[in-house]
Amino acid sequence: MIELKNVSKQYRQGARAVYALKDVSLSIQKGEFLSIMGASGSGKSTLLNLVGGLDQPSAGEVFINAKPLHGISDSELTLIRRRQVGFIFQFFNLLPLLTAIENVGLPLLVDGLPFTRVKPMAEAILHKIGLAARAEHRPEQLSGGEMQRVAIARALITNPAVLLADEPTGNLDSHTGEEILLLLKSLHEQGQTIIMVTHDSKAAAYGTRIITLKDGALSQDVAIGGPLA
Amino acid sequence: MSIKYALLGILAEKDLHGYEIKTSFDDKVGEFWSLNYGQIYSTLERLEKEDLVTHDRQAQDKRPDKKIFSITAEGRKQLEEWLAEPVSKLRALRDEFFIKLMFMDSNNPTAILELIEKQKALYLKQMNRLTQRKLALKKSAYNRHALISELLIDAGLFHSEADINWLTLCESKIKAAMTKNKLSR
Ligand SMILES: Nc1ncnc2c1ncn2[C@@H]1O[C@H](COP(=O)(O)OP(=O)(O)O)[C@@H](O)[C@H]1O
Ligand SMILES: [Mg+2]
Repeated sequence: MIELKNVSKQYRQGARAVYALKDVSLSIQKGEFLSIMGASGSGKSTLLNLVGGLDQPSAGEVFINAKPLHGISDSELTLIRRRQVGFIFQFFNLLPLLTAIENVGLPLLVDGLPFTRVKPMAEAILHKIGLAARAEHRPEQLSGGEMQRVAIARALITNPAVLLADEPTGNLDSHTGEEILLLLKSLHEQGQTIIMVTHDSKAAAYGTRIITLKDGALSQDVAIGGPLA
Repeated sequence: MSIKYALLGILAEKDLHGYEIKTSFDDKVGEFWSLNYGQIYSTLERLEKEDLVTHDRQAQDKRPDKKIFSITAEGRKQLEEWLAEPVSKLRALRDEFFIKLMFMDSNNPTAILELIEKQKALYLKQMNRLTQRKLALKKSAYNRHALISELLIDAGLFHSEADINWLTLCESKIKAAMTKNKLSR
């Protein structure tokens, strides 16, 4: 469903070039829960951003549902970004002046839908993840776990083909982090494809497959469920 | 180790036959600690000598009598004292992997790095299995026993995570030493 073919990403840091990703090929099936591990600086976020169309590879190709993310217009790319992928982040990235329900509805509001149509949809998702009572609260009035759940609701409102999570438990204590992982797992059980970046092996263990990046290259691919040795 | 107290703890709940003690042990902590019948019976024998456990005989048709074990008042007292004390020993570094690391050829760091890689993959698979057990547990009826089992699984996950982080550090230090040409002759 998601396909990376010989993808490399190079950044300029002053005079020198840094390879954030080196010739990564990877395919992710529909319904997979893929965990991506690796030390900080190993290229995890870069990989996620390329899949989500937030960034373009220096070489190689990325496909979502057989549609290439290269050689298309900016407006087509924006559309894929808005409709096909949902992002969640370590620091939640909610807009501080908006209420929870407005944050959740934001992806559809920027798409031009009127709030009267967006509101019931956002309410339904907030209800589903147990946050209905927090709909009118602003981020500063919410706990870390609640903010991340609002962010998950916002990512889901477009019914994306894939949910991309960058260190979703990185800023949460173990117990709250586990609640977020249980929520992601239940979404996965309902069929949601998920790619999650983490350096926490306890979080990675929720995946159905775990890959490890080392210095921008794919170093290990552990399929779960096979024999142990 | 504390097989002694595990057996006393099991018998404090209920009088049991030897094989029921094993079943109860496996059910409670089998995920992390495996005991065979021999260890259980020799410990029970010792506990009887110390008057912490006694047994009753139950006659069976055409088979030798069955022993039903129970805890004595002194056994209960020692168990309660033990339960109230925190554990003073650090987790023992007696992992088989440490022994392997110790005896691997330090002239061949590549082989060590390959072993580390395999070991990490194995830990990740085991962590995934533990997580699946935890998820199944959370879906089943929630009682006190399930909570304790979940907490033990969490302990297993935290320990494995520490092992993986330590292996990653080993990898990084061995590589740094290789580039400085310290290890590769
Ligand atoms: N916008 C950028 N400009 C320059 N270098 C970058 C940029 N983004 C990432 N990098 C570099 O690329 C490498 C991989 O970064 P990243 O994908 O963020 O790693 P991770 O998420 O695994 O910590 C790092 O060396 C980082 O410094
Ligand atoms: Mg990152």
